[in-house]
Amino acid sequence: MILRTFFQALLLVFVAGLDLIGSVAGAETLIVLNSGDATLSIIDRETRKSVGLVNTGKEPHHLMATPDDRSLIIASSASNELLFVDPRSGAVQRRIRDIADPYQIGYSPDGKWFVANAFRLNHVDIYSAADFTLAKRIPLGKLPSHLAFDRSSRFVFVTLQDSRKLAAIDLATQAVAWELEVGDTPAGVWMTPDDRHLLVGVMGAGDVAVVDWRTRQIVKRIVTDRGAHNFQALGDGRHVFVSNRSANTVSLIDQQTLAVVKTFKTPSGPDCMEVSADRKELWLTARWARKVAVFDIDSGKLKFTIPVGRSPHGLFFLSHAPRV
Amino acid sequence: MDAYAGSVGMLQTWIFETLVQPSLYATGLIGLDEIAFEATEWFILGALQVLLLFIVLRPLEAWRPAERWSDRQGVGVDIFYTLLHRLGLVPLLFFALLTPIADSIEGWTRLHGFMPWNVEGWWPALVEHPFTTFVIYLVVLDLAEYLRHRLQHRFELWWALHALHHSQQRMSFWTDDRNHLLDDLLQAVWLATLALLIGVSPSQFVGIVMLTRSLESLSHANVDLSFGRIGERLLVSPRFHRLHHAIGTGHEGVHHGCNFAILFPVWDILFGTARWQGPIEPTGVRDQGKGRDYGASFLAQQRLGLSRVAAVISGRSV
Repeated sequence: MILRTFFQALLLVFVAGLDLIGSVAGAETLIVLNSGDATLSIIDRETRKSVGLVNTGKEPHHLMATPDDRSLIIASSASNELLFVDPRSGAVQRRIRDIADPYQIGYSPDGKWFVANAFRLNHVDIYSAADFTLAKRIPLGKLPSHLAFDRSSRFVFVTLQDSRKLAAIDLATQAVAWELEVGDTPAGVWMTPDDRHLLVGVMGAGDVAVVDWRTRQIVKRIVTDRGAHNFQALGDGRHVFVSNRSANTVSLIDQQTLAVVKTFKTPSGPDCMEVSADRKELWLTARWARKVAVFDIDSGKLKFTIPVGRSPHGLFFLSHAPRV
Repeated sequence: MDAYAGSVGMLQTWIFETLVQPSLYATGLIGLDEIAFEATEWFILGALQVLLLFIVLRPLEAWRPAERWSDRQGVGVDIFYTLLHRLGLVPLLFFALLTPIADSIEGWTRLHGFMPWNVEGWWPALVEHPFTTFVIYLVVLDLAEYLRHRLQHRFELWWALHALHHSQQRMSFWTDDRNHLLDDLLQAVWLATLALLIGVSPSQFVGIVMLTRSLESLSHANVDLSFGRIGERLLVSPRFHRLHHAIGTGHEGVHHGCNFAILFPVWDILFGTARWQGPIEPTGVRDQGKGRDYGASFLAQQRLGLSRVAAVISGRSV
């Protein structure tokens, strides 16, 4: 009888499960995308406290602000949707469905195109940025991962993680213009401020391949650390950070000399980054540590960490440094 | 959640950083680091699940056994099956085999303009309620599993594989994973296809599998336990499932057996295959009484399973 009651109680608990989720407004807000939980952590940057949690679609990985900063777009790959939230509060604004497997996303600099990499499904989608209608679906090699544009919006460059390549797609013809082998497991890709070189984080090699995209040649390899992965500008028009996800370090690269000028140790699995407007703090997601870590850029010292959800990936705050 | 992050999360990070990530880097597989990190969590959860099941169910089996055995001979191989599955080796193998195929099919369908149906698309407000979508997917997948189980008993070819699961005459909470690997592969294809069609996300899928497998361990336990008049109709109990494994009833009659449900007996009620009453009978397959050997070791069981399949294909009786 006792056993029966026990299992009946278990059954009731199972049937009556609740999800307790809410969204909260905040002043200076940090938004962190917990890809393993399909949530956004809304954090007050002043107090470093979580002030809310917002459900997203399944498997969200990357986020970016719209050009007018009025919305933050969350790309949920397994839900095939873009979720628009208020970057100040995290409040949901709208959803656009039937965007196939969106991983990293980006607007062309001329504002004409919105590009989404379908990482799992091996294609790149080009949408009209005005109304998100699909203009072209382009099949590519294996695992189209990150993307970058040239300044004139002629090309979008896409890393193909399992094909060891960088692909250039001509946005005018909406066809693949060329592909270049760059090394084992290329991930993040970044255009230098002079529009001359592409920097590609080559995870398996632990270096950054410097590609002269006009001549389609690798002109240099900057050794950073194991798992060179993603980029973020310091904001001074000269330096860029690269996260080395397997080595738990971040390197600062001088884009004029194409050399590492500083490296510091991070918590486990550094990935996406954000730099404060005064260029004094580097904020990054530590994927394997379920944390956001904040560094003093001058000294390279860890200032504090903020616990977040599972596998935190993209992060954003409005008062960030310029993206160059 | 803080406690979870501080315990399982820390252990996951430590195992991943110390063992998994360096191995991936050394073998040129660092691109799999995100998947491997998730797999590390499921390895830990699987190990904890096995430990918890042992702590809870083993004393129950000792206290109120459905059958009293003179020894536990033959249970050991079931433990081997359980560890292979619950610690992730078999799921990882199938993931590696099936994911590229599933992704290729899905990629091809997207290129031709097909988007899979999913419950959030049908009812967008459900995105705000992941628990509700989880329950919906759980119910849909449980129905699919009920139907698959019916087919396992209905078709002689499939039964040739599935009979291995039923051949355990000392059925315990370890027996759930005692299956032929081909049978496991068919199940993986079945569920992956369904997940593809209805859009279950990988994380929800793993959650559903974890929950289902825990309750399946309970339903196979050698425990004389029912959930009461109402509870028996809501959730599959050890007594309900033992009738499915009984020699006289498990694979007999017009429906080729009874009580096929995995989690929710409602499917047996709806399809007229439920059986509520009956004494506790020995488990196994009827032809074991006539000397049919299903093998004692893992390898022998797998080999004999293939022999039975070959016999059916060549027209010889199983």
